Amino acid sequence: MAKEREILNSVVPLDFTYNYRVGIPLEKYILGLAEGKLLGVACPSCKKVVTPPRSICGICNEKLDEWVEVGPEGTVENWTIGHVRLEKGEAKDNDEPVLIGMIKLDGATSLMPGLIEGMRPEELAAGARVRAVFKAEPEGSVRDLDHFEPA
Amino acid sequence: MRNVAIAGVGYTNVFVSKRKDMNAPEMIAEAVDNAFRNTNLRPEDIDAIVIGNMQTFEGVNLPHLWASEHFCGVGKPVMRVATGGTTGMSVVHAAYYHIACGLYDTVLAIGWEKQSEGDSQVGLTGIVLPEALALVPLGLDMTGKQGMVFSGGGSTGAASFQAMSYLAKSGGTIEHIDKMAALERGNAALNPYAHLKVPNCKPEDIAATPIVSYPLRFGHTCPTSDGATCMVMCSAEKAPKIADKVAWINGLANCASEPTTGNLLEGLLTDPAEQMPAKIASKKAYEMAGITDPKKEIDMAEFYDGFAHQSMMWSERLGLFDEGKAPEMLDKGVMNLDGEMPVNPSGGVLCTNAIGASAMNRVSECALQIMGLAEGGHQVPKKVRNALAHGWGGLFQYVTVTVLGDTPRKM
Repeated sequence: MAKEREILNSVVPLDFTYNYRVGIPLEKYILGLAEGKLLGVACPSCKKVVTPPRSICGICNEKLDEWVEVGPEGTVENWTIGHVRLEKGEAKDNDEPVLIGMIKLDGATSLMPGLIEGMRPEELAAGARVRAVFKAEPEGSVRDLDHFEPA
Repeated sequence: MRNVAIAGVGYTNVFVSKRKDMNAPEMIAEAVDNAFRNTNLRPEDIDAIVIGNMQTFEGVNLPHLWASEHFCGVGKPVMRVATGGTTGMSVVHAAYYHIACGLYDTVLAIGWEKQSEGDSQVGLTGIVLPEALALVPLGLDMTGKQGMVFSGGGSTGAASFQAMSYLAKSGGTIEHIDKMAALERGNAALNPYAHLKVPNCKPEDIAATPIVSYPLRFGHTCPTSDGATCMVMCSAEKAPKIADKVAWINGLANCASEPTTGNLLEGLLTDPAEQMPAKIASKKAYEMAGITDPKKEIDMAEFYDGFAHQSMMWSERLGLFDEGKAPEMLDKGVMNLDGEMPVNPSGGVLCTNAIGASAMNRVSECALQIMGLAEGGHQVPKKVRNALAHGWGGLFQYVTVTVLGDTPRKM
């Protein structure tokens, strides 16, 4: 059988640049990281404490403007172990399994995803206590909260 | 308000990972041509067209206008709808509104995706993580270790938290997810329009695939597909003139909550398996359809299950089983194609995922089951009077529900 002919395929690389305003609550959170602080906002109605902060509680339709400091320790509520990462659509095996926790920082009611280092995969479980580790030299970005380690 | 029927369903001849022999509008035209087969209609009988595909996936921002000649759209009202993973069902709902309000009698509803022409993970970055995307220039590395969803393995990484929570709540095990996946891959082998088909798939076959993000294996995840679906929808007055067999849309609803876990900046929700919108939307849709006991009155269901644990989760959240009971029902064979509550006889999104068509295929498959026209051996071996179609997506928090029946609802 003749090899199936493939019709012409036009490859078009597009490189777009967008710029997004993060909003004042998130800016305040990022600036707080440089001082080693984790900031959240509390809902005046249902008392939930959200971090990273956002401006509105959708359940209560309230503005979130009561600032509180949360963490730096917290509890792992949910977790996964990543064996694969995606780089520009290509699945690649991680060199080491990556531990990712959904962490409830002390004083917060929301969960924050975070990388957990210094812990073996078999030690990771709901209820594990972890502590935020900040960059020694802050750069004014969300990456100033570098990872979590066992508390 | 008037009742609305589905009079015809057309799929592309195949759903595959790369449709190389045609461009996107040509692929849409193939589904449109096939939709006319079950009807006495001609293209000039179509009053309006609603079409949808995923935002950003192919990088074409006005696909509905590019393809207008290919779906009988020249000189007619055309509307594009895009709501993420639920797009296909939102298209059906928009077409329903066109007809139910009395403005149009006969409407084409089209859902399509040609995922091979774009980068789906880049597309998802702009959909699943709009807030996180805003953080890229501020230090969030989407491709390195800080890209939390990415290091967890793309959308599978995000879904793994939902799977963990579902298993903890239901008492189900990773073996149940293997079993659910095997059931659907096996069903897909009986569906000529399915993408991933594994005849007589066994849970051991799924269990042999590697873990992507614990507890989800490669075998628990959906493919990326190229394909299109077109449905002819019409008013109750038109239905008998158009087709011998129709299915009725008797209830519909959608619901969003705030973004849920899986985002860097999630909302107040902390449990991605809670899925409150599924409970609210299904309750509304059942009420509209006059269904008082879905456990008894719904005969089969098609769920949006990008990941295999979800078919168990949705069957509970949408009221077909009590909370936590799905693993037991799966073990008892209730969810099998010949069971009491067949789930995804088509193989579901788990086996065929041309995203803009995925949520529409839930509706079209329920319609074909009601009409008795499901091809290739995946027709369930019992009379289907009422069927449940479900779409899911957004930021893990948006749900669409459609209840179909073999007779129109009482107005």
